[in-house]
Amino acid sequence: MRDTANFGSPMNLYEAGDDAELRILLITGGWEVRRSFNQIGIQPGDHVRILRRAPFGGPLMIDNQGTRVAVGKQLAEKIRVEVLP
Amino acid sequence: MKVALVGQPNSGKSTLFNAVAGYRSLTSNFAGTTVEYTRGQARVDGVVLELIDLPGLYSLTPTSAVEEVSRDYLLGGDWDVIINVLDASQLARSLELTLELLDLESPMVVCLNMMDEAARKGMTIDTHALELALGVPVVEAIGGRGRGILETFRKAQEVAAAGIRPRAFIYAPEAEGLLEELAEKIADNTKGRLATATKKSEVGTGDSGFRIQDYGLSRAHHPAALSCGTGPCAAGCCGHSSAMEGLQSPRAAAAVAVLPAQPPPILAPTDPQATSLQSQIANHKSQMTAFPPARFRALQLVQSDPNHLPTEIGHLALDFELGNPDLGPLRSSPGSHTPAPAARHSSLVTRHGSSDSGLSSVEWAREEIALRTGQPADAAISAARHAACLTVFERVARVARPRADWREQVDRLAMHPVWGYAVLAGVFLGFFRLIFDVGKLGEDRILAVFDAIVAVLTHHMNAQGALYAAVKGAVLGTAGAVAIVLPYLLPFLVGLAVLEDIGYLSRVGYLMDAAMHRLGLHGTATLPVLVGYGCSVPAVMATRILTTRRDRFIAAFLAVLVPCSARMTVIFALVGFYLGANYALGIYALNIIVVALSGAVLARIWPEISPGMLMEVPAYRVPAPRVVALKTWWRLREFVLMAFPLLVVGSVVLSLVDFYGWQHGINAALSPLTALLGLPRSVGLTLIFGVLRKELSLLMLMQALGTTHVLGAMTAAQILIFTLFVTFYLPCMATLASMMRELGWRLTLAASGALLALAIVVSLAARGVMLLL
Repeated sequence: MRDTANFGSPMNLYEAGDDAELRILLITGGWEVRRSFNQIGIQPGDHVRILRRAPFGGPLMIDNQGTRVAVGKQLAEKIRVEVLP
Repeated sequence: MKVALVGQPNSGKSTLFNAVAGYRSLTSNFAGTTVEYTRGQARVDGVVLELIDLPGLYSLTPTSAVEEVSRDYLLGGDWDVIINVLDASQLARSLELTLELLDLESPMVVCLNMMDEAARKGMTIDTHALELALGVPVVEAIGGRGRGILETFRKAQEVAAAGIRPRAFIYAPEAEGLLEELAEKIADNTKGRLATATKKSEVGTGDSGFRIQDYGLSRAHHPAALSCGTGPCAAGCCGHSSAMEGLQSPRAAAAVAVLPAQPPPILAPTDPQATSLQSQIANHKSQMTAFPPARFRALQLVQSDPNHLPTEIGHLALDFELGNPDLGPLRSSPGSHTPAPAARHSSLVTRHGSSDSGLSSVEWAREEIALRTGQPADAAISAARHAACLTVFERVARVARPRADWREQVDRLAMHPVWGYAVLAGVFLGFFRLIFDVGKLGEDRILAVFDAIVAVLTHHMNAQGALYAAVKGAVLGTAGAVAIVLPYLLPFLVGLAVLEDIGYLSRVGYLMDAAMHRLGLHGTATLPVLVGYGCSVPAVMATRILTTRRDRFIAAFLAVLVPCSARMTVIFALVGFYLGANYALGIYALNIIVVALSGAVLARIWPEISPGMLMEVPAYRVPAPRVVALKTWWRLREFVLMAFPLLVVGSVVLSLVDFYGWQHGINAALSPLTALLGLPRSVGLTLIFGVLRKELSLLMLMQALGTTHVLGAMTAAQILIFTLFVTFYLPCMATLASMMRELGWRLTLAASGALLALAIVVSLAARGVMLLL
């Protein structure tokens, strides 16, 4: 069986570079994870940008259509993204 | 008239609330939870409105306990109109909740708050176009400056009085046909339940007990609102007519649900305008159907995780999921509503659609949606809603280049990987400095006043009597309570409210997340633990910002483990004074190690379940003085009600102990402990006093030893061990009271036991080390 986590892009949000325009391809993880992202307004297809990252494996701060969201490392690793040109 | 204020976190809901409701507003807990909401009254154009400010929620399919309670309250239907407050600068995201609220098909007004913020971001919003798109009135507002607030409440009154109900927003065409069918089934089922259901709802609005109400039938039904206009449903209209019959029989109506009693009526019967309004609403309610609407229930069933269903819908889900024979699979063959995609999967779908497949209607609908959209049903529906929000947003808003913003520059510094921590340290040091400088000034004066009162009492009363001892105890207890509250807690609470409203606390959470993970906590728990260095009481109260019980417990435990300012007095006055400042700092260092180890151990005992930080970082805002004042007042009032009686009674009891000379008995009872630690027997009583107020263990030590020259009566080693024990053992009574409130007595008891054990272990270890040396 194909692991959905590796579907599409080889990159997760935590690995992506700062300040690049990214598109969310897939949110892996269960109902709970999808729901929490959905609640805060993050969905597959959205364009996001990493603004800064806290040191020592701390959270990322991303911009999602003007909303600033802090995303912990574990959760950021559940988002598959692609870099937009 | 009851107005529910609903909005996402940081939408400025509370600013709106506080602008019209006064200081008499009550913060209460939802029955059986620690989730708070605020209720208050406001008079708008002569009509008294009862306002309920619900905790912020992002959507009606919640993930946290707090949101779940808000959602359950809304679905309980104990309100007449919703004011949905939106942050206009976050319009696209805020609309997600709005679309879900529209599914409730109940009177509603949208308040587009923070229009100034939106303008700063370069957004212009066509309010009229938004009204057309949503089908509910939209009022522009700038809550912080008081603009648009009255208009919002006026509009809400109008809408409620006229009984204007929006249509549900259709955003997922692939799913709509299935939802309609499911809704129809649910409506039939509800009709069937009327005679039998005795469902007890857990939604609480107060602690005034339960009363039977005609819940479930209390919502007016707008003929055009539900999905009845179409297909076979038109005739039966979701069991509408039967529901009416059901209502006419009081018993049947009573059987539908048991709901908490409504608070006492707030409308004066003499107020003619109000009475007519109320009767109008009652009139609307008399044309009834089930609430929440069947389509809404269907949506919830399809997109929710079964464990997270609202109680009101959960029992329905059970019937469906357990394959209740009356509720077999959906009647129609797949594709009757949306023909195209089903053909491809016909074999699979037919299997699922047949009645002997073992799949319930809900499961079948989920499968079908998943087949049509290629993703799980919940993801498909939320994606469709998300897309609808963006479409509405693009239709009504224009975004130009944002104005240059100084706040971005502030964040560049405040969230910098290096400088951010320097700012953090600066802010907290400054914060504490301010509190203690202010507090010290106040405390001395307050205690002087009470000393004068005691002197007067001594003069006028028989100083040998038990009554005198009791009264003196009561005065000193009050002194202790007042000397904590006014000088320290008041400035602290003001400062906390300011930091919170500026938006700095979420930055702290971001910066400290990685470090707090080592303690098994998230960044948001930084505040309680740091505040613990000041005073354990507000530290424990601050754990309320954490979402899970586990996080609250661990944070509270670590916060009381950290030496508060009272324990700092003991440490510096005993160890610092007699043994040298380095020893005192050594105790602090040891404390940090113990905190880190305890965090690690607790995290292992009670493992983490939440997957990590996901938190909106709001833009910096200038705090509104009124909001800060009200927040401070509520928190202060809560502390006073909770801790004052305990402190006064405890103080009276200890005075009487002293008066009747029971200390020998107490010292004897504690002698195993004091002997174990190698301390003089007479310090036993001081440990009891220390629970009342930590500084008292210092004062009583001198009294117990009969000298102010402690080093003469105790060895240096004994002083060190005594101080270590006092630093770690039980928290003071006021702290215990707040722990009881936040955590419940079981966890408080567990924490107290663990702290006592920890104190003994640390002191014994210190004794062992010193014996070796």
